[in-house]
Amino acid sequence: MSECALVASVSDHDASMDVGNDKSLFEPTIDMMVNDFDDERTLDEEEALAAGEHQDPKAELNSLQREGDMPLEELLALYGYNRNMDKPIPEQPPEVVPEENEKTESALQQLYSDNTSPEATRCLRSGSRPPSEEEDDYDYSPDEDDWKKTIMVGSDYQAAIPEGLCSYDDALPYENEDKLLWNPSVLDEKVIEDYMKKNCAINSGTGVDAVPKGKQLRDDEEALFLLQQCGHNVEEALRRRRISAQTPAHASVWSEEECRNFENGIKVHGKDFHLIRQQKVRTRSVGELVQFYYIWKKTERHDIFANKTRLEKKKYTLHPGHTDYMDRFLEEQEASGTSVVRPVSPTPMMMYVPSPAAQPDPLALGEKEVFSQLNPHTTPPRTLSTEEPEPDTVS
Amino acid sequence: MSQSRVAYFYNPDVGNFHYGPGHPMKPHRLSVTHSLVLNYGLQKKMQIYRPYRANAHDMCRFHSEDYIEFLQNVTPQNIQTYSKDLLHYNVGDDCPVFEGLFDFCSMYTGASLEGAMKLNNNACDIAINWSGGLHHAKKFEPSGFCYVNDIVIAILELLKYHPRVLYIDIDVHHGDGVQEAFYLTDRVMTVSFHKYGNYFFPGTGDMYEIGAESGRYFSVNVPLKEGIDDQSYVQVFKPVISTVMEFYRPTAIVLQCGADSLAGDRLGCFSLSTRGHGECVKFVKNLNVPTLVVGGGGYTLRNVARCWTYETSLLVDENISNELPYTEYLEFFAPDFQLHPEISSTSNANTKQYLEAITKHVYDNLKMCQHSPAVQMTHIPGDFLPEEYRIKDEPDPEIRISQEEADKMIEPKNEFYEDEKDNDKEPVPETKES
Repeated sequence: MSECALVASVSDHDASMDVGNDKSLFEPTIDMMVNDFDDERTLDEEEALAAGEHQDPKAELNSLQREGDMPLEELLALYGYNRNMDKPIPEQPPEVVPEENEKTESALQQLYSDNTSPEATRCLRSGSRPPSEEEDDYDYSPDEDDWKKTIMVGSDYQAAIPEGLCSYDDALPYENEDKLLWNPSVLDEKVIEDYMKKNCAINSGTGVDAVPKGKQLRDDEEALFLLQQCGHNVEEALRRRRISAQTPAHASVWSEEECRNFENGIKVHGKDFHLIRQQKVRTRSVGELVQFYYIWKKTERHDIFANKTRLEKKKYTLHPGHTDYMDRFLEEQEASGTSVVRPVSPTPMMMYVPSPAAQPDPLALGEKEVFSQLNPHTTPPRTLSTEEPEPDTVS
Repeated sequence: MSQSRVAYFYNPDVGNFHYGPGHPMKPHRLSVTHSLVLNYGLQKKMQIYRPYRANAHDMCRFHSEDYIEFLQNVTPQNIQTYSKDLLHYNVGDDCPVFEGLFDFCSMYTGASLEGAMKLNNNACDIAINWSGGLHHAKKFEPSGFCYVNDIVIAILELLKYHPRVLYIDIDVHHGDGVQEAFYLTDRVMTVSFHKYGNYFFPGTGDMYEIGAESGRYFSVNVPLKEGIDDQSYVQVFKPVISTVMEFYRPTAIVLQCGADSLAGDRLGCFSLSTRGHGECVKFVKNLNVPTLVVGGGGYTLRNVARCWTYETSLLVDENISNELPYTEYLEFFAPDFQLHPEISSTSNANTKQYLEAITKHVYDNLKMCQHSPAVQMTHIPGDFLPEEYRIKDEPDPEIRISQEEADKMIEPKNEFYEDEKDNDKEPVPETKES
């Protein structure tokens, strides 16, 4: 092709210089090349078609036989498909561009319009604006356009765009109202990792951090913040950490009474945490209730609660192994009248352990505040140890 | 490619709100996400901020004062006295009045606003606020679980420094609130990919919505049908965004990462995997434009947490394992305990032909806005805050800016400010109080 173009430009050049003869000499060459090119293609195509048709007389007969036995629909489908495949190929190459524009546009519209099927799937939760209004007496229009909303225009709808640009003066307007808790760019990554490991070492053996956390080295927000507060001095941060490690950071532990009140609240009000707080657990904020709920929801304690209140039978089928075990547990519980339940909740905030003397005295138990300090061998989630009265004996 | 500086904004209380019994929007997904981010060890790769909390004044940059006042005062206790307003403001089932409503709004809005400010100040290249992205809220009313439109407010902040801001929305629902707010301007281009048709909320986002007046051709809508999978989605997303970049040349981007476009969402109907969703985020990150990344929809809690955790890892360029680390929420991820669980694919109603056609349609419209707007470079000194607010907000003098912090305040790399020095000659008696 490039050769052809070159020849053409040369010919034009020549033509402009000398008149007549030379040009006529070149013209056929271009035509030839162009024709050649086309000819070759159509030839190829014809050959391909021919090859497809005249394969083997036997094969042809066989296929005819097969078609004869075919159900009508299949046969139609076969030929319809073939026709579509054959026809457009030779026609397509030259002027596709403008045609396709229109085609796709209309195709798009068609595709577009067929997405209003009568069966409605409103996808935000509620139909605060029902799709079909009661008084649609004027022209009957199938609810096609009912659900469509338009973007409103006017000062009631658009934001006022500040004109031009500006810059903050010396300080950011809110500079001092946020709090930078960590900045990664000061220390080397290695140093930080090392610090985090040492931190883990300090914590291991005490409290929640004794719970196996898998191989991932987790980030400790407080430890990182402490490091930053110490001006990124690792030694100083570790020193302070050792001191503070003695005292549990989260004092806010739920008492047994609070837990029971919470569960009662759920039973009565469902997940209306506002009402639960108002009427059942006044010692906690709604935020605390919400946080507690999500942890509680995935503990044994919740399963037991759910079984008891028959709110959720699914858990039974999900954990069939637990069934008789739980029945026995529930019986035991009813018999003794105490809840020796050991909620297994993994966060420090909600964690608590029955006091060693958990067994007999229901009154004492109800009132007791329980501590977040856990034994090194804390039970992992979803293991219930009703058999053992002493948490220490759990292996 | 050089590492981006990422700032992450998280308020530990933002997850402890509850919309009410049976409501699909669960703010606690934010706590679960944060817990995963922490336990994957991603936190130490970012600047971590406990963000500023927006006040009514900030919200009124976009919203009407009446409406914000209503939000500020209404509580579940006094709700009866507002019965008229409830109707007027369309408060009810979708957008209930719950305990701490205004606090919730002020937390997520403050975080987005501050993210925008840090970007303006060149304190970071990427700002992340998963609690933001409430794109349906309108100037006068809440809509679709959204009360205050933090995105609009953040974009208004970005417009102080940036002549052109691009908004990209990959929530399954149309980003109607943001589109409407900037429908008439060419300084913000909104691009939304969403499910459209069949009564799907909110009912806008038709491909013929292209903006009006100066904003004509600056609203881009890519309506899709249910069941779209990773491959088809990316096939549309990448060329559309590339074309937008070419024609619009934004100087800042806001990316809304609604996770209800994932497969198996309680309200959504797309079939994206966390990988496919993340692919879009990665693509936008690689454009190397200052970007504010916000959350949005997402109603299957465990998948939202997976998705945004994975996307956090992409934004900080960190590979994280498919096996989830231990967290207090581990049980939520049963039975597979994986970051990228298998998804059950539903049938994709988007034909290749349709996707090509819609991409072409968008391209044709974008060609029309070739002339990017030129913004007059007038210098408006300072922030817009009127004096009375400034005084109220004036912080404790004890915690003045330390030298270290002051050093960090690099001048914005904004080529339009060569004359900046001329204007702020007044010496500010900054440090005299003690």
